[in-house]
Amino acid sequence: MRKQLNTVGLALFAVLAFLAVLPLFHIIIDVYTKGISAIVELGGLSFLFDIPPTPYDNKGGVGPLLVGTLYMTFLGAVLGVLLGFPLGVYIGEFRKEFFANFSRGGVNILVEFPTITVGLFVYALFSISLVDINPMLEGISNALASVAGGWVKHFIGGLSQFNAYAGALALAIIMIPYVALFTASAYASIEQNTREAAYAIAGREYRAVFIVLRKAVSRAVLAAVLLGTAKIAGETAPLLFTAFGNVYYAPFTEATGAIPLWIWYAAQTPYEVQIASAYGAAAVLLTIVLAIFFAARLRQ
Amino acid sequence: MIDIRGLRLWFGNLQVLNGVELKIPKNTVFAMMGPSGSGKSTILRVINRLIELYPEAKVEGEVYLDGNDIFKMDVVELRRRVQMVFQIPNPIPNLSIFENVALGPKLNKLVKSKAELFQLVKESLEKAQLWDEVKDRLKTPAGKLSGGQQQRLCIARALAFNPEVVLMDEPTANLDPENTAKVEELIVDMKKERTVVVVTHYPPQAARISDYVAFLYKGTIVESGAVREVFTNPRHELTEKYVTGKVY
Repeated sequence: MRKQLNTVGLALFAVLAFLAVLPLFHIIIDVYTKGISAIVELGGLSFLFDIPPTPYDNKGGVGPLLVGTLYMTFLGAVLGVLLGFPLGVYIGEFRKEFFANFSRGGVNILVEFPTITVGLFVYALFSISLVDINPMLEGISNALASVAGGWVKHFIGGLSQFNAYAGALALAIIMIPYVALFTASAYASIEQNTREAAYAIAGREYRAVFIVLRKAVSRAVLAAVLLGTAKIAGETAPLLFTAFGNVYYAPFTEATGAIPLWIWYAAQTPYEVQIASAYGAAAVLLTIVLAIFFAARLRQ
Repeated sequence: MIDIRGLRLWFGNLQVLNGVELKIPKNTVFAMMGPSGSGKSTILRVINRLIELYPEAKVEGEVYLDGNDIFKMDVVELRRRVQMVFQIPNPIPNLSIFENVALGPKLNKLVKSKAELFQLVKESLEKAQLWDEVKDRLKTPAGKLSGGQQQRLCIARALAFNPEVVLMDEPTANLDPENTAKVEELIVDMKKERTVVVVTHYPPQAARISDYVAFLYKGTIVESGAVREVFTNPRHELTEKYVTGKVY
């Protein structure tokens, strides 16, 4: 009787597990079946380089959106790691300090924050500061352009209200708590035995913490960075008020396109070609996210 | 020479050392023995100031290394001169065998070139009697070594600093007899060039490897002196009971 009950219990769990992952597989299969046929229909490989289709086109792609997503994700991830990693070390390694506890509370709240409010915050920040920082940025841009050439102006210059850097900052703010919490838990899990070894061979505390112990938890931290990057690559809400979106190749100082923004926009239109391009864009985005995710799993 | 004077230590309200006085002569093996919780490992952690990792620890008293107050010394300099081997082998996770030995000298800028670093790692592994077993797999993660090999790797890591003092906290507690014998051989060999302070709660081991011995009980030095003297003619009844296995 106990054996039969055990079998029934295990079967129940298996069914529940299957139901839990069913939406995941449905999304992956649906996006890839519809997405790949849309990519083929809209131009094949050129889908990755072309601008999105207007309602009257029969070809098009996600070129500027892919560039925008990669650029903002890269910048957001770099900034997120630069701020999130030391913060994580602080709240994980120095967890007995009052401010470390305080910071942990703040980070725990930030990780649950509605991401659209992060976008609003960055929008307000740029609204207030653009007047002051633009003359300086234009000066830097002109100086660099006179040395290196006009291409510099695609990256540095006076910023529009909507621009890639605002988008990247919003993504970084979303990434910081992810990296910080993963890093903190990795540092907190270091055995005292290993910690003593690190201090014995490193001498200075900063070397023990940031070099020796970082090497001890490098896999967990790298996995955190990759998972955080995968998350921000697919974010839409924080980009609505910051990058805004753009269907053309444009300087990063102007409104910049991103794949999630296009999916959000195109899926609402009544034009089949744009809906198809949204499926193609979703397949591209899913591929990026899954690639990062699998890289993270391999590292763990 | 390590000179410990009136060392008292508290973890919070709990006093674990009650005025320890010890003189550890140069180029000797000095064993500290005593039951668990008597404060042996804590003394080691004071000597290289790893005790500072425990914010709840409060230390009073003086410790001198060759006449220099260790609490006034630069901690980097102190830990370079006083290295430590721990009870549980603790190679740094994710690092290879080579990197585990090389990292300390690299961080402390003890070598000037890659060739010099390689030579230092090789010599350290040779001194730890590990080179022949690992020379063909230096890039293998250190965690793949057996427990005994990991402990000898940790000894090599300490020796790479060419320290004047090596502190060893029950270095054979987790090893099989064969590896224990190897480590004991290493300890005796090390005193030619440095002072070894070894903690053990196994009196026969102290008798086998040490020149001097101290017996600690509840944070107090009950008796210390030349090993033969303490083992054959103990002055204190408690010492006699401990070395004859009547007190654990």
